[in-house]
Amino acid sequence: MIELCGLTKRFGDLLAVDSLTLRVRPGEIFGFLGPNGAGKTTTVRMLSGLLQPSAGTARICGFDIVTQPLEAKRVLGLVPDEPFVYPKLTGAEFLRFVGDLYGVPHPAQRRRIPELLEMFELSGWGGELVDSYSHGMRQKLVLAGILLHEPKALLLDEPLVGLDPKSGKLAKEILKRLAGRGCAIFMCTHVLEIAERLCDRIGIQCEGRLLAQGSLEELRGHGGSDGAPLEDIFLALTGGQQYAELLKHL
Amino acid sequence: MRSSLSTFSLLQRRRVRSGLNRIRTQTPWEWARNGAFILVGLWMLSGLHYGFWRLLSYLDGVELIGGLLIWKLTAMTLLTTFSMVALSSLIIALTTLFYSSDLKFLLRSPVGIRTAFADKALEAVFFSSWMIVLVVLPYMTALAQVKGWGPGFHAVFLLLMVPFMVLACSLGIAFTLVLLYLFPSSRTRDVLWILSSLSVALLYMLLRFSEPERLIRPDALRLVAEYLEYLQAPTAPYAPSWWLTQAVSSYAHGRWALFWREAGLLCLCALGSCAALLALAGVTYAKGYSGAQESRRQRRPIDIPPGLEHRLAAGSPVLASLYWKERKTFFRDVKHWSQIVLVAALCGVYLFSIHRLPLDTPDLKSLVCFINIGIAGFVLSSLGLRFTFPSISLEGRSFWVVRSAPLGLETLMLEKFLFSLVPMLLLATLLIAASNHLLRADRFISWLSIGTIWLLTWTLCGMGVGFGAVFPRFKVENIHQVESSAGGFAYMACALALVAVTVAAEAWPVKMHFQARFGRADAWDWDWVAACAASLVLVNAAGFILPWMLGRRCLQRYEGE
Repeated sequence: MIELCGLTKRFGDLLAVDSLTLRVRPGEIFGFLGPNGAGKTTTVRMLSGLLQPSAGTARICGFDIVTQPLEAKRVLGLVPDEPFVYPKLTGAEFLRFVGDLYGVPHPAQRRRIPELLEMFELSGWGGELVDSYSHGMRQKLVLAGILLHEPKALLLDEPLVGLDPKSGKLAKEILKRLAGRGCAIFMCTHVLEIAERLCDRIGIQCEGRLLAQGSLEELRGHGGSDGAPLEDIFLALTGGQQYAELLKHL
Repeated sequence: MRSSLSTFSLLQRRRVRSGLNRIRTQTPWEWARNGAFILVGLWMLSGLHYGFWRLLSYLDGVELIGGLLIWKLTAMTLLTTFSMVALSSLIIALTTLFYSSDLKFLLRSPVGIRTAFADKALEAVFFSSWMIVLVVLPYMTALAQVKGWGPGFHAVFLLLMVPFMVLACSLGIAFTLVLLYLFPSSRTRDVLWILSSLSVALLYMLLRFSEPERLIRPDALRLVAEYLEYLQAPTAPYAPSWWLTQAVSSYAHGRWALFWREAGLLCLCALGSCAALLALAGVTYAKGYSGAQESRRQRRPIDIPPGLEHRLAAGSPVLASLYWKERKTFFRDVKHWSQIVLVAALCGVYLFSIHRLPLDTPDLKSLVCFINIGIAGFVLSSLGLRFTFPSISLEGRSFWVVRSAPLGLETLMLEKFLFSLVPMLLLATLLIAASNHLLRADRFISWLSIGTIWLLTWTLCGMGVGFGAVFPRFKVENIHQVESSAGGFAYMACALALVAVTVAAEAWPVKMHFQARFGRADAWDWDWVAACAASLVLVNAAGFILPWMLGRRCLQRYEGE
């Protein structure tokens, strides 16, 4: 369970996230959408303990991320927008390191790491330094790290960027299965099609404020007609319909 | 289409704008912090200036040869500066010219390869030289003050420092260009990089083992005339440092023909080296850059048994794992290897210098062993600046992995501390114990120096990690940017102050010890000894705990650069 209550973040005069309140239930995939600069990544960074909120609270499986950070992080997995991984470790060593940090027993690691590498088609690369990995391979490695410690709540920031179609499909299946096992998933994405197909509920954020949240049907009530695609709802809510006006500069 | 020159000037304008934006967006806390450290820096520089002024005033007062001694010392200082900058550029040029993050943007933009090279080479020159120039400045201002020369001398020196630094850096840059061009394979390049470091280290050791100090000891020469001849002879006449010495000296004495000749030679050679580098870059840079982007494949096992750390620290698996990761990543970076080679050479030269000290009485030898604590402390502070202080920043952009993991940041700091402490303790013990053995220090001084250096090492490592956490820079491309940052400067100032205060606190008990050795009956005043011991413990505790706590707080609140 991921719960946000009045979560706010200020950077000087800039209000990046404004009193965000929402809840992601166990087994639910929540899609968090918004234009660039809407505060999506800032929200993920606050939820994962990388940033301190200016106000409000965030709880991961009941643990407050500010006052009980270790307990919260123990049950949390993070896939950041930029999968930077220690370049001088091999893929297998990175997984080993992640496993140790999250307290996965060594026998389980020795069994699971080759399986995970194989699952993400990294078996041939597991002994290579991450230095030589492509962006997509690093993304897959981070996803493998998540699966190694089996979190109860998962934060993903653009998890499918850089993945080839096969890996993208695999990642989507993984997310569905994790949700099926009761994991609460909070996913930022720009790919509306993925949000439409994968997410149980969707939140649309713009300029730090949550404009709407709910199932696709509920969102249609906010900003679109019956059967309207998510893109139309998104553009209607975020003011993106003015794109024709913007094209005059082309 | 823009000309190369206008593109180059455009690229420099983006640097100026970035710098101005950075200043403009500083928070009040950053203003206060940076202001405080600038003040500390100025205080340190004025201390250096005072030291140089005392030395130069003394030399100037030496009858007949005072002037000669001053210019000999100046020539040697500038030669050392030149060598240090050249060596520094060797390391910085590799990362700046071939691994900077903005290179991808620059090289895919309509910017000529030579223009892009010139832009990055300028950056390499700046980062290789600014700190060393900052240390030479107090020397030159002290010289001008002693001799009563006006602002014209300073202006000429500063102007001539530009071609001087360009010439020094062009050596390192040219070597790097050729190396990357000839050896695009990363494995060969790494081996060559280590071999180059070994060669430099060997050269340094050979130079030292040839005992050049014999030449400036008058008693080593048969005739006074020989000594005078040595003082008057050029110091490395074909090196740019000699041209600079001659130029500033002739300016100061109004010998205009010589001034214009030497200054012109310096400037022409600098221009020539720039032209040669640009020509070389036109041929080599693109291929070298392309080769630098390739990583070598090195198959390692997927099934990883628990490391030594896991067995030694079974009760703290997270700490063990952080240490294991640190060991792996540290020793796989070839740039660290070259530094380790140079540190080994430094230790060899250090002990050789101790061994060759012309000391004849046991008392003098023991006294030098005490003073040696300060010198070893200085060496450890410098190594701390190079290895301990940047260790937090070396987490780099992967910092999110540990920050989002279930571990307190103090665990990360503790691991960094332990990773530095083990080799530093070994090195400190080697330097002090071997020096004590070579000089046959008495028992009291031996134990005092060993105990003190252990205490200092402990504190310096804690201070280095603490300051590193106060000033983390996870997004730098070059470790030297971490070292030469305001934080590095602050660490070094505090570390040197700690060493000085520690040695000063022990000076009283050591004085009593020597009084007792010379036969004074009531030499020991135990109240004083207790006070000195208490101040020693207090200063070292403060030197460890304050930066550590501040660092932990800053790291927990870290929100990006």
